[in-house]
Amino acid sequence: MERLASRILGIAVMLAAGAAVVIAMDWPFKAKLFPIAIGVPVFCMAAAEVVWGLLRPDARVGAMDFRLSEHLPGKVAARRAWIAIGWMLGFLAGIVLVGFPIAVPLVVFLYAKLQGREPWGLSLGLAFGVWGVFYGVFDRLLHLPFPAGWIQSWIGLA
Amino acid sequence: MIEALFEGLLLVLQWKAFAFMLLGVVLGFWVGLLPGLGGVTTLALMLPFIYAMTPIEGFAFLLGMHSVVATTGDITSVLFGIPGEGTTAATILDGHSMAKKGEAGRALGAALASSLVGALVGAIALAVAIPVVRPLVLSFGSPELFMVAIVGIAFIASLSAQGGRGMLRGFLAGGLGLMVATVGQDPQAGIARYTFDSLYLWSGLDLVPILIGIFAIPEVIDLVLRGTSIAGDVPKGRLNQGALEGVRDTFRHFGLTLRCSLIGTFIGIMPGLGGAVAQWLAYGHAAQSARTAEERAGFGKGDVRGVLGPGAANNSKEGGALIPTVAFGVPGSSSMAILLGGFFLLGLVPGPDMLTTHLTVTFSMVWTIVLANIITVVACFLFLNHLARLTVVRGALLIPVILVLVFVGSYTANNNYGDLLLMLFFGAVGYLMVAGGWPRAPFVLGLVLGKIVENNLYISVARYEAEWLTRPIVLVLAALAVAVMFYPLLQARRSAARGG
Amino acid sequence: MRHTLALGAALLGLAVVPLTGAAQSPHFEGKTVTIVVGFKAGGGYDRTARILARHLPKYLPGRPNVIVQNMPGANSITAANHVYAVAKPDGLTIGTFNRNLVLAQLTNVPGVKFDMTKFAWIGSAASETTILAIRSDLPYQSFDELRKSGKPVVIGATGPGANTYDFPLLLREFLGVNFKIVSGYSSSADIMLAIERKEADARAGSFTSLRPFIDRDLVRPVVRARASEPGIEQLPVDENLAPTPRARAIMALRSAPEVVGRPYVMTPGTPDAILKLVREAFAAALKDPELAAEAKKAKMELEYTSGEETLKILTEVLSQPKDIVEEFSKYIKFGE
Repeated sequence: MERLASRILGIAVMLAAGAAVVIAMDWPFKAKLFPIAIGVPVFCMAAAEVVWGLLRPDARVGAMDFRLSEHLPGKVAARRAWIAIGWMLGFLAGIVLVGFPIAVPLVVFLYAKLQGREPWGLSLGLAFGVWGVFYGVFDRLLHLPFPAGWIQSWIGLA
Repeated sequence: MIEALFEGLLLVLQWKAFAFMLLGVVLGFWVGLLPGLGGVTTLALMLPFIYAMTPIEGFAFLLGMHSVVATTGDITSVLFGIPGEGTTAATILDGHSMAKKGEAGRALGAALASSLVGALVGAIALAVAIPVVRPLVLSFGSPELFMVAIVGIAFIASLSAQGGRGMLRGFLAGGLGLMVATVGQDPQAGIARYTFDSLYLWSGLDLVPILIGIFAIPEVIDLVLRGTSIAGDVPKGRLNQGALEGVRDTFRHFGLTLRCSLIGTFIGIMPGLGGAVAQWLAYGHAAQSARTAEERAGFGKGDVRGVLGPGAANNSKEGGALIPTVAFGVPGSSSMAILLGGFFLLGLVPGPDMLTTHLTVTFSMVWTIVLANIITVVACFLFLNHLARLTVVRGALLIPVILVLVFVGSYTANNNYGDLLLMLFFGAVGYLMVAGGWPRAPFVLGLVLGKIVENNLYISVARYEAEWLTRPIVLVLAALAVAVMFYPLLQARRSAARGG
Repeated sequence: MRHTLALGAALLGLAVVPLTGAAQSPHFEGKTVTIVVGFKAGGGYDRTARILARHLPKYLPGRPNVIVQNMPGANSITAANHVYAVAKPDGLTIGTFNRNLVLAQLTNVPGVKFDMTKFAWIGSAASETTILAIRSDLPYQSFDELRKSGKPVVIGATGPGANTYDFPLLLREFLGVNFKIVSGYSSSADIMLAIERKEADARAGSFTSLRPFIDRDLVRPVVRARASEPGIEQLPVDENLAPTPRARAIMALRSAPEVVGRPYVMTPGTPDAILKLVREAFAAALKDPELAAEAKKAKMELEYTSGEETLKILTEVLSQPKDIVEEFSKYIKFGE
């Protein structure tokens, strides 16, 4: 996993740095100096990392950072990771479709009920509690703007 | 001056001012705790309410609120891995790792105790520095600020894993951070850099959604993966020994805590460096205190020193930031900019007068910081162990709440949906970095230092041409940068010599 | 018979009451008016909006709740676009944004989706003129002296698009003053520190933001742009010193939006009757003694400029001849 992720990152950074330098070429001197001065070494370092990874595929370097849990078998880990990503994207979709005020309690309830298989009472209670704090603080107290979702606009509520 | 010191204390202890301070503390507690309730924004929202207060009351309220935000922001960082404030992200690395090992209580105790030490040091520095603060701030011009930023970049070496490849990845991450910082309009030629004609990218990328994405998202994914509570399968008994142990840690490593407080105060005094820098430099310094290679590798995985350093620096920098605000009318941080507005509302003119004729008011501010922090820390300790229990709540209940905090926190930075996409994008980047063994701390450091490095370099060259390179403080800082850069090599050699 | 009469009278009464009721029922009653600010909380535009938000309800029929929402992004282009096209023209959304947006429209900045002249203009809450202030210990007592000396003066600036940069730029280009513009300071407050350090000698900026430093005697104003404010009337005006009509036109173009220092608009298509109510409320609120006291404390000078006048100024800006606009764009970019 470390090998694959590092390779993906390395290649992505090479592409990004390369593109950044090329785009910067057309700018006036003062605007392009810094991006190019950083972009070129970053490109080289990324290339070095990718090459190193190809030459020493079994090295485990680690970082001063936390490590993802490794005790799970690969397939299970991958499936759960996709589930997590799915929920996040789903929440995003919910926010866009029905707006924050509805998406917030909805995602809490659905996750607790569907993913966690928690009992009805707990799921509903948690959703209501979270919604209460969210609504009370962010909407009533601070008047933060939460745009209406697309669905509300389509059916003409907003 | 001593009379002013005591008079300042008496002013704060008047019951009305004290009550307002308590109110501010209560507000600040929640502001720091909830990601998305930015300290700066809330201060701005509170400004109108101080119209009716006298200067002392108004300051007790504003400062009471403000002093507390960094402390409680650490709580969210430790418990959930979400930065409660942009300035408490560094605490996540070790603080949240400790929570995952079942040591949430200890991490919280350490964060709170070090915050208190930091606040006290910052306040003392404010009081003590008053005679020398003007020449001190005036001697740090753009060339010196540039060099301080370079020293910061040199810290990347201390934030990377040992060995050639570790350093390579560290500097890669740092360089990436520097590049991301260039997005937006440049202040030399006015070119819109890397904006691809998007209005959203035109003002540059906001730090808060990036921090939330890069730190919180990988933690959430990992939590789903594990399928357990945050503390995992750690036996419950261990949690409760926590908080006091954390306090003991603070004193066990008192030298480190003190040094990081001083780093924070110094960064706070220098206007133009920004609030997010101090925590990372302190973290880097804490990593330098590791004596063996294994110890060093343990950072980021639950070393209490990784909590002490940023915890102290965060609070001390606010005391430091008060100095240029009060003495020059130049805000040392964005929250100070709001406080400056408060100054005017309350009829005070920041400047040399605040250090002479209005010295009592200045001291009352110092006391407010001290008292607000003491009260907060004591109050938090009362239910720290209860807070720590959140880490054994089932993942399925906690994860959706964390997700809500993450999304709301990213959105309220600018009330823009684009920030949600930004957060998710860097969430993906963060996840790949964690999976691929690339350190995230250098990335954030590069991101917060990018503009400072570029702009101060241009100003220095434009103003002084080549002679800025020979200014005495610049040379000292350059030497410091070299030392910081090569310190990890020294560390590695020393630990190899010890056979470690 | 008596019953029929009574019934008839009652019915008549019932018929009349709703009619008069409808004529008197205020549009804003029970509603919330939102002021959308194109900047983050704490800045000048935001604070002005919040002061207004506190005192407007008294003057709007129905005493609605007035709240402020921040929509920062692209230097307030995002907020302007929102108020222009997304908000409903029902009088419940008011927008305030960067006074220089008209210049953004003029120079075809990509992403601009509004036409300044089509907004329902409420007016401006203040005029914010730009001045240049030099450090007090410099030997030049007047702008003329400074010009004649020929020695370089270091001007600290934040970046193109800000008045810290644009104002001295034009002075240098057209009047030939020896300014060395050093750009890249992170905020105008940092420039003040640089001035104290003697790293910079001067700074251009709004009179409002420079006033605390003038009062403290750190800097001294020497030249101003066309809009006058109490305290700086006697300063020379940059346009008046321009050597050619074209130079004068370009300087005037830069300064024109400053009279509309704090612009307030509503969505295009807002009914005239509502616009009138809001304009009157604004004018009255800005004369309110409590508001004036608060503004004074906050060191803000608030004054109403009517919607018609602001529209006139903006139309004039947008109808400048192409060649002037082209040359203007060479010097002035829209930005932070």
